[in-house]
Amino acid sequence: VTTASSSVLDQAVGLPDALALCRHCGDACAAGAVRTDAGSFCCSGCASVFELIREHGLTQFYACDPDAGVSQRSALPRDADRFAVLDDPAIARRFVDADDGTFSYVTFSVPSLHCASCLWLLEQLWRFDEGIGRSEADLMRRTVRVTFRRDRTTLRAVAERLASLGYEPTLDGERAAGHMPPARRDLYLKIGVAGFAVGNMMLFSIPRYANGAPLDPTFQRLFDGLNVLLAFPVLVYSAADFFRAAWRSVRTRVMTLDVPVAIGLVVLFVRSLWDISTRSGEGFLDSFAGLVFFLLIGRLFQQMAFDSIAFDRTVRSFLPLSVRVATGSRMAMRRIEDLTPGDVIVVRPGEVVPADACLLDTQGRVDLAFVTGEQHPVPVQAGDVITAGARIVGEAQRLQIMRPVSQSRLTDLWNNPVFTQKPAHWLTTVSARFGRWFTLGALALAVLGFVAWWPDFGMASQVATAVLIIACPCALTLAAPITLGTTLGMLGQAGVYLKQGAVALDLSRVDTIAFDKTGTLTTAEATATVDLEGLDDRDWARVRRLAAESIHPVCRALAGRVAVEGRVHDVLDAVGEGIRGVVDDATVAVGKASFVAGLARAAIGPAGGRTWASVDGRVGSFALATPERRGMADVVDTLAASHEAWLLSGDNDDEAPRWQTAFGDRMRFRQTPADKLGTVQARQSAGRHVLMIGDGLNDAGALAAADVGLAVSDDTACLVPACDAVIGGDRLTLLPAVLRYARRARAVIVLCLVVSVAYNVIGLTLALTGRLTPLATAILMPVSSLTVIGLSVGLMRVRAPRWSGR
Amino acid sequence: MTVIVLLIAVGAVVAGGFLAAFVWAVRSGQFDDTSTPAVRVLLDQPRRSAPQSKP
Repeated sequence: VTTASSSVLDQAVGLPDALALCRHCGDACAAGAVRTDAGSFCCSGCASVFELIREHGLTQFYACDPDAGVSQRSALPRDADRFAVLDDPAIARRFVDADDGTFSYVTFSVPSLHCASCLWLLEQLWRFDEGIGRSEADLMRRTVRVTFRRDRTTLRAVAERLASLGYEPTLDGERAAGHMPPARRDLYLKIGVAGFAVGNMMLFSIPRYANGAPLDPTFQRLFDGLNVLLAFPVLVYSAADFFRAAWRSVRTRVMTLDVPVAIGLVVLFVRSLWDISTRSGEGFLDSFAGLVFFLLIGRLFQQMAFDSIAFDRTVRSFLPLSVRVATGSRMAMRRIEDLTPGDVIVVRPGEVVPADACLLDTQGRVDLAFVTGEQHPVPVQAGDVITAGARIVGEAQRLQIMRPVSQSRLTDLWNNPVFTQKPAHWLTTVSARFGRWFTLGALALAVLGFVAWWPDFGMASQVATAVLIIACPCALTLAAPITLGTTLGMLGQAGVYLKQGAVALDLSRVDTIAFDKTGTLTTAEATATVDLEGLDDRDWARVRRLAAESIHPVCRALAGRVAVEGRVHDVLDAVGEGIRGVVDDATVAVGKASFVAGLARAAIGPAGGRTWASVDGRVGSFALATPERRGMADVVDTLAASHEAWLLSGDNDDEAPRWQTAFGDRMRFRQTPADKLGTVQARQSAGRHVLMIGDGLNDAGALAAADVGLAVSDDTACLVPACDAVIGGDRLTLLPAVLRYARRARAVIVLCLVVSVAYNVIGLTLALTGRLTPLATAILMPVSSLTVIGLSVGLMRVRAPRWSGR
Repeated sequence: MTVIVLLIAVGAVVAGGFLAAFVWAVRSGQFDDTSTPAVRVLLDQPRRSAPQSKP
C-alpha cells in the first residue's frame, strides 16, 4: 500500500478526484485517497481491508454488490488497543454465550453488517484465523456468533479480526445483543400449544355447528370432555402472560389493556365450564382458545415490528465501559463498575469521567455539556472535584476516584432532561394516557351491557365478554409507536438518525430553517492555498499537529487524515477565534488575524478571508476555499421557497453574494454562538417552529434551543449531546424529502387514530346489541391491530427517502 | 360408531407428534433467526466443517 500524495500540502487537504470510486466501499475518492495496484480507495482503511480480503482469496465478496464494503474513513482515528478490555474476564463474560473448556461461543453486535456480501464474508472468518471455527451472522439483529478454540485465539483477537474487516463490534455497556431472547422462544411455544388446541377443538366443534341439531349425547359429552382437556393448557400455559400482566396492573393500580382481556378470558372459560357441567350447552371453549391464539399472534407480530426497529438503530450507547487505571507505573484497563475510591485513572480527551473524581494534574479543561448543558468547556485546577459525566477536553488528565461509580447515574446523565426538555407533541402523549381511560371505559361499558341484558344470563355474559374483547385500544396505542418507529428505521437507513421517534413529529411542524454555513452548506473538505511566508515545513507540521486538536472544520481540513507526530499541551481552543497551544516546545496559534496577532512577531496583512498561523512568532497564512456541498444550492432554493430560511454563519461575509438569492436579507455573518441562539429564540418567540442545522461546534446552544436540532456529521466521531438528530454530511440533499416524510408520518398517525376509533365505535355497537359472537370478536380484535400496523408500516415504507447519489 | 373414537385417538397421536416436533424445533433454535437463512442459501462457497456441538 502506497500513499499517492507525499508533499505536506497534499496530505493536508488532498486533491479531489471526482472520477474514482473506492474499490472497497464505492464512495467517491476525495481527500486522503489512496491508490494501489488494485485500484483507488477513499482511505487507507478501505485499502487495507481490501488487501486483507484479496490476500485470503475472497474477492468474491465484491461480486454480488461492488460497493459491499464498509467505508473505513471514519474508522481511522480509532484507538488501536480499544479491545484490550476484552482481556478482562469479567467483561468478556458479557459476550460469551457458552464455553466448554475447548470452544467458546460468543456473540458480537456488528452494526455495519448490512447485506448478503457482509454475511458471506463474516461466515468465512475461519479463513483469517485458524482458531476460529464457525461463524454465523444474523442479518436482522446484526450480530455475528463466533465459535473459537480458546487455546488458539482469544476473544480480543476475534474482535480485532472483525474490526480489521470493517465490522467494528460494539462494546456497549449492555450485554451484546445475544441470540434470540428466551422470551421469544417461549412465545412461539405458547402459540404452538394454543394453535394445537384450537385446531383440534375446531374438529370436535364442527359436527355440532354443521349438524344444526343436538348431537348424540354420548358424542357430545366425549367432545365436551376433550375440549375441556385441550382448553386447560391454553388457560394455564398459553394465556398465563395475560393473567400475570393483569394481576401486576391491579396490584400497582395502573390500568393496562391486559385487565379487560384477562377478565374476558376468565368469563369465557368459566361460562363454558358452567354450560358443559350443567349440560345447558357446549360452551365457547373453541372461541376461548382461538382468542388466545390470535392474541398471541398479535403480540408476536408487534414484537417483531419493534425488534426490526430496535436493530435498525445505529446511534448507540455513548457511555464508557472501562477506563485506564494507573497502578504504580503500570496502566491497566479496568471495568468502571470495579473502580473504587482512591483509584487513579487516566482519562483521554473526548472520554467521559465515569465517577466523581479529583483532578491530580495541575490544570485542565472539562466539558460539562452532559451534566449541566453548559456548552463552553470550563477550566479546572488540581484538587477540583469533577462530576461524573464531564468530558475531558484538550489533554489527557489524571484523576483520583472519590465515589464509586453508579452506572444508572451515567445513563441518567445521557438521558438528561436538559437535552429533551421540549414539550412533547400532543400525539405522543395522547396515546400513552389513552390506555388508562380506555380501559376504565371498556369495563364500565361491559358492566352496562351485562346489566342491560340481565336476566338472560347467557346473553348478558356473551355481551359483556364481547365488549371487553372488542374494545381493545391496541390499535390506538400502537399507531404512534409503530409509525414513529418505522420512520426512525427508514430514516436511519437513509443516513438520518433521529434520537427518538417523537423528533419526527417535531420535524413535521417545522416552518423555519436556520443553516450554519461552514460544514453544512459548504463541505468540510477544503482546498487550501498556503502562503508559507516565514514558516518552514517543520513549522507547518506543528501547525497541522495543533489543528488536529480541534474539531473546527477549518482545523479538520488543515489536519487532514494523516496523523502527525508531536506532543501538544496547554491547548486553548477559543471558539470562533482560533486555537493555540504548545507543540514540541514551540508556541503555535492558528485562527483569525486578530487572534494570532498577539503572538506574531511579523506583520499580519489585512488580506481578507485568510486564516493565519504563527509558530514562535513566525507567521504564515492560508486560504481555504470551501466548496459548497454538491446539490446544496438546489436544496436551499427548494426549502427557502416553502420555509423561512436563515443563514447563521460565524465567518465573515465574503460569501454573502453566493447565498443572496436563496436567503435574501435573512443572512447573519460573524455570529457568535450566543448570537445564533438569540436568533433561534427570537424566531421561536415569534411563534415559529425552528429547525437548526449545524455541526454543533459553535452552535450547540442554538441546536439545543431549536425545536429540532440537526447535527451534521462528516467524519468526526464527535457527538453533539444537545441535538435531536444526526445527518451524514453527504445526505443533506435528502433534507426536503426528510421533511416531507416527517409530515407524512404525522398524517399516517392521524389516519390510524381515525381508523381505530371508527373500528371501536362499530365494534362496540354490535357487541352491546348482542350481535357479535365471542368467536367473531376473537377474529375481529387482532384484525384491527393488524390493520393499524399494516397501514402505518405500509404507508411509511412506500417511497421512503432513500439515498442513491454519491 | 366406535370407529370415531379410534380415529380421534389416532388423530390425537398424529397431532401430538407434530406438536412435539414443533416444540423440539423451537427449543433447538430453529426459529431464532427467520431472515438470514433465506439469504444464506443464495451464497455459494463451501464451508469448512466447523464444530457442530451446540452449547
